[in-house]
Amino acid sequence: MEKLVIGHFYPDLLNLYGDRGNVLALAVRAKLRGIDVEIRNISVGDDLKEGDIDIGFIGGGQDSEQNIMSDDLVKVKGPVIKSMIEGGTVFFTVCGGYQMLGKYYKEHDGKIIDCLGAIDYYTEGESERFINDTVYSFKTDDGSEVTCVGFENHSGRTYLGEGVSPFMKVVKGHGNNGKDGTEGVRYKNTFGTYSHGSFLPKNPEVTDLLLELALKRKYGNDYVLSVIDDLGAKEAREAALKYIETGKEQMI
Amino acid sequence: MIRDKIAAAAAIFVRKTLRLMGKGATTLPGKIALKISPDIIKTKASGKNIITITGTNGKTTTSHMISDMLNTLGYDVINNISGANLASGIATTLICGKEEVLKAKGDSKGLIYVLETDEAAFAKIAKPLSPKVCVVTNLFRDQLDRYGELTHTRDLIAGGIDGTAASLVINSDDSLVASLGKGREDRSIFFGMDKEALIKYEKENPVKKGIIPPSADAVFCPECKVRYEYKARTYGHLGDFYCPSCGSKSPNPRFAAIYGSDKNPAFEDYEFKIKDYKKDIIKDVILKIPGSHNIYNALAAISAVTVITEIVEDNKEMLFEKACDASSKVKAAFGRMEKFKVKDKEVCILLVKNPAGLDRSLQFVADNDNAGCLYLLLNSNFADGKDVSWIWDVDFESKAEDLPENIYVSGQRYADMNLRVRYCGREVNDKGDETRMKDIFDKALEECPSGKCVYILPNYTSMLALRAMLVKEFGIKDFWK
Repeated sequence: MEKLVIGHFYPDLLNLYGDRGNVLALAVRAKLRGIDVEIRNISVGDDLKEGDIDIGFIGGGQDSEQNIMSDDLVKVKGPVIKSMIEGGTVFFTVCGGYQMLGKYYKEHDGKIIDCLGAIDYYTEGESERFINDTVYSFKTDDGSEVTCVGFENHSGRTYLGEGVSPFMKVVKGHGNNGKDGTEGVRYKNTFGTYSHGSFLPKNPEVTDLLLELALKRKYGNDYVLSVIDDLGAKEAREAALKYIETGKEQMI
Repeated sequence: MIRDKIAAAAAIFVRKTLRLMGKGATTLPGKIALKISPDIIKTKASGKNIITITGTNGKTTTSHMISDMLNTLGYDVINNISGANLASGIATTLICGKEEVLKAKGDSKGLIYVLETDEAAFAKIAKPLSPKVCVVTNLFRDQLDRYGELTHTRDLIAGGIDGTAASLVINSDDSLVASLGKGREDRSIFFGMDKEALIKYEKENPVKKGIIPPSADAVFCPECKVRYEYKARTYGHLGDFYCPSCGSKSPNPRFAAIYGSDKNPAFEDYEFKIKDYKKDIIKDVILKIPGSHNIYNALAAISAVTVITEIVEDNKEMLFEKACDASSKVKAAFGRMEKFKVKDKEVCILLVKNPAGLDRSLQFVADNDNAGCLYLLLNSNFADGKDVSWIWDVDFESKAEDLPENIYVSGQRYADMNLRVRYCGREVNDKGDETRMKDIFDKALEECPSGKCVYILPNYTSMLALRAMLVKEFGIKDFWK
């Protein structure tokens, strides 16, 4: 039986806006296929060695909580995570977790916080927060386009370095910076996004891509992921799209 | 002074007019009064005996318990029972509350205002209100897109407190709330689970675990940035915590709850004990509003009632005992838990506004052997928070197999809730958007086995929408009554 180890980074600190749903989606969709899943919590002070995990998830946290773990991520675990990303381990990162893989975060008073520098992008904080439902277009590895939905809530504006690919294109919402129409980053098997709203449960094509990348890496390129039910994800997505389009508040 | 009089007159006029039109008018009169005289709260609150109740969860239930208990103990009580807990609602209550006094039976010992107060509003109005007692129930994540970070909410409450000389009745098991006692030791009175009893209870009643731990708040020491250790936990981040680095720990409570041994707190009339460590007295208490989280609410209420009566009464004898007895007489069917009968079945509505509330309500339904159906409703209007991702913070997985056989979902974001339920391994019997809300309720009621209960867990605006339909059909009260 195949086995996947999902590393849930800082679950007791980076756990905003339902981000744990992403780990749940990976675990459930793997289990439904008969794959053995182990979820390993990796927090401040916990060991991390290369090869420990097949998929890593890093979510976002409140400022006070990110202050607690950022040293551990950047200084202690940083070199191992960087090497894992370069080596093709699958990572899915959201908001704060996404920002911390970049080069730096510049606060709006000009103070620069060094980040991991695993991928070439940087983030600048601004006072206006982007808080809204989002719609994206995601190009799968076979070239087809999938419409994905989420919810963004961030004050950081991320700018990708030259030649660095975004994860998706913005259809509705702000994405990385509200200017260039890009959303998130994709580098090797690492993905970053600003989308909370528990992105992976509602967008199973992405969840399955992450599982497939991890399984191929572990069991060889001819590994084929079986097709399973979407558990109502497409209905949720269509309902969200309809809700976003009409945008009407129920008047009470 | 004249400004205040005009403001109050205007508020009373607006209230009377709106009431004639069949409206609740729980906020607009105060809003208008505050426009005319920004000092109206201070003027109206001056010289009054006021208790405020704030915190993210359990405010309404605790406020109701306190009101009911004080009334039983011979006080006239005015409260903002409708849950209008912003400055406008509180101003309305202060100005117009006289027409809706809970009158004491027999001779009144005096008038006490019991005011549920929104956390952010508390920061602004605590000083003009100058309450005698401030209760802080707990601090869980709550619509972060609207309120911001939890530590910020804690700081807001701290700021409000510092504008008053109130006695603080605060939760020793919540690290964020307990930290409000630091530097305010002389006026802090803690309530919490009895430490020894909690360790024993946890050993005997291990909590079921899902595949991922629920999203935790405030489990790190803010000073040392080190993870708290817990000798025992109740739920969420509540429990007997200590920091292994600096040694700061959950304070010893004056009022401590001791779990009963034989019955489940989810059942009616759960028997437990409360110890007043200052007086060294243990009293039996009956939990009239079921649910393990309501032990905290009852404990907060008993603590608050003991403390306020210690302040206002000349005879200081037996006040804790009297508060406990009054708590055992609290009327069950009110607050955030509302029940009514339909022929041989029951309907129970539990408002759920944030992850901690949904977690506790699901646990309550899972623990209850009379649960016939579960009906989850999810809207995403401004008052609910636009972001519905919080449902993924809740650990459905550990409760999945104990939830009733029939599950239904509705509301604007019914499909998100359906997805959440299916991810915990359960199926729903029927689902549909807000246009089918009543239709699905009827179906749930129909399919609920005789003698069992339909548990409805709506968020705020879906509760208002469904309730409006049920008011017509079943004659339940309008929300402000």
